[in-house]
Amino acid sequence: MSSQQEQIREAARAYLEGGVVSVVIGYEHGPKGQVRPAFVYEAGDVDRLIWSRECNQNLTTYLHSFKHSPRRGAPVPRVAVVVRACDARAVNLLLHEQQIERDNIKVIGVVCGDREARGQERQACRYCQEREPVIYDTLVEPEAPVKLSETPDDYADILEMEEWAPQERLAYWLTEFDRCIRCYACRQACPGCYCFECVAEQVDPHWSSIAVELPEKFFFHVMRAFHLAGRCVGCDACEAVCPMDIPLSKLNRKLAKEVEDLFGYRTGDDPAALPPLATFNPEERLPL
Amino acid sequence: MRVLTQSQLNEWLDDLATRLRLVAPVDVQGRLLYRPVRDHEAIAWGYERSDMSPKTWTFPATEAIVTIEQGSETQINDAPPPDPTVIFGVRPCDARAALAIDALFLEKEPRDGRYAELRDATTLIGLACPEMWDSCFCTVVGGLPNGTDGLDMLLTELEGREHGQSYAVQVLSAKGERLLAGVTVQDRDVALPEPKLTEGLPTLSPSSEWKAAFDDVYWQRLGDRCLACRACTFVCPTCRCFDVRDEVASRRPGHTVFERLRAWDACTSAPYRRIAGGHNPRPTPQSRLRNRFYCKFMYYPDDFGPLGCVGCGRCIDTCPVSIDILEVISDVARLAARESAEVRA
Repeated sequence: MSSQQEQIREAARAYLEGGVVSVVIGYEHGPKGQVRPAFVYEAGDVDRLIWSRECNQNLTTYLHSFKHSPRRGAPVPRVAVVVRACDARAVNLLLHEQQIERDNIKVIGVVCGDREARGQERQACRYCQEREPVIYDTLVEPEAPVKLSETPDDYADILEMEEWAPQERLAYWLTEFDRCIRCYACRQACPGCYCFECVAEQVDPHWSSIAVELPEKFFFHVMRAFHLAGRCVGCDACEAVCPMDIPLSKLNRKLAKEVEDLFGYRTGDDPAALPPLATFNPEERLPL
Repeated sequence: MRVLTQSQLNEWLDDLATRLRLVAPVDVQGRLLYRPVRDHEAIAWGYERSDMSPKTWTFPATEAIVTIEQGSETQINDAPPPDPTVIFGVRPCDARAALAIDALFLEKEPRDGRYAELRDATTLIGLACPEMWDSCFCTVVGGLPNGTDGLDMLLTELEGREHGQSYAVQVLSAKGERLLAGVTVQDRDVALPEPKLTEGLPTLSPSSEWKAAFDDVYWQRLGDRCLACRACTFVCPTCRCFDVRDEVASRRPGHTVFERLRAWDACTSAPYRRIAGGHNPRPTPQSRLRNRFYCKFMYYPDDFGPLGCVGCGRCIDTCPVSIDILEVISDVARLAARESAEVRA
């Protein structure tokens, strides 16, 4: 079997040559060897695309850039996107929330290899038990068999945090948020954050001050975490892009754990399952 | 030349910290930030380039420039005068950045009174860089790792540590002279070490070449990747755009306090350019990212003199999707060369 990189390039070439899509979103190397998102418009350019275990950005956030018609009367562009298993659940999320149309996207789903090495670098990969992405049009198989994590996420860090006294928890988060510069990189990198006007920036009504100070930072992060409850796919893109190393995934994981415990629901797993926070069920009784 | 040993420097800094606000690079949970320090021990000695620039002290991220109290009568108060502040360990690029901001706020009418107060109250003690680190490109935009522009004083670590670490002191302004008055220094014959420069960096195109490249599809493709966050502009020592809004600070029956807040804003984010009625003349990340580079290398130098970039490289290291200003500089030179070849043909 050819390398995963070769398979990605082949799929991209086929989609572009066949006119199936107008752009392929994948990964490339920057001038300093760093991995970054790539947008390939020509079949002749597909050799820019790469695959390595440093390919860690969730590219589905860019689907929002292509979901509208660029000009009046022009069709919505068709796009192919390279996804990992966690990103694929974000595709399901966006389909569910009617942000994208299935017919307009081609999903190049990659089975992540190198699990151990990935897991050392990223918490999201450490417990990952997903082999194939839940949604794909082209599956990119690994050359060597993949050894998945045998233990599911035990939420050890979250259970530990839950043990802290409320004042301790507050002190911890205020110290972390104090470094925030309100750059919104977390929000922008997140496929689930796509409001036309974010509450943090809304002018009328003016919910949040423009100040880059602790109350506003606290409000922003807590508000964002709540808006992602039952919607976060756990890709950790927010934490990865934070220039101040704020452990944002901890907030998201806490809420993901709550949603799992209460509703047995994990974001994007099953495209047919109704998201708990977007569902009204009169029979529902929470164990309060 | 005047020389301070490490212990003399420590003593001096400790003394300064008792008399005024001493700000220096500090390790804050792994991030290097300029923060007030009580003594020399809090300083992250041996640091390279900070994660946020010292701009945060002369152009704060948030500031109440005016307070309006509305009770039985209305009272308008200017912001209280700033505390006298010494920033220690300013890298030469960041001092040049302060000069670049001065060109807009101080040298053109209307003068920004609050910014002038903050600048007047602040003394910059530089620390020369022994080399250009990864991502540094000050030499591309007219700076040097041991440049003195914009500083009140520059310290240079001396090689040959037989007497322990010591620093050559260049006093560069009357403010610097006043600060050093009465401090014990040695007078030694020393040669300043030459910093190690990075070779093979691109040449910056003049603004005319940037102008010629404005409509190239390059900007569309570059901006595809941009997440439209504000990280690059907030870590930039030269970006100085802000938003102003009147907000209620406190309210009780018959008495309301409003603050006129000024807070950093970023041209890369969507609301920056949105105007009344919701129209946005720069609606796409592509158009906004292009604006950021054109501001730095064409609009700002054409309108105010200095370049809007000092080559600190923070945006290169911070951008979550690796948009690299140095790569853009090379690409524009290449686009300009292609353009002129086409014109000749």
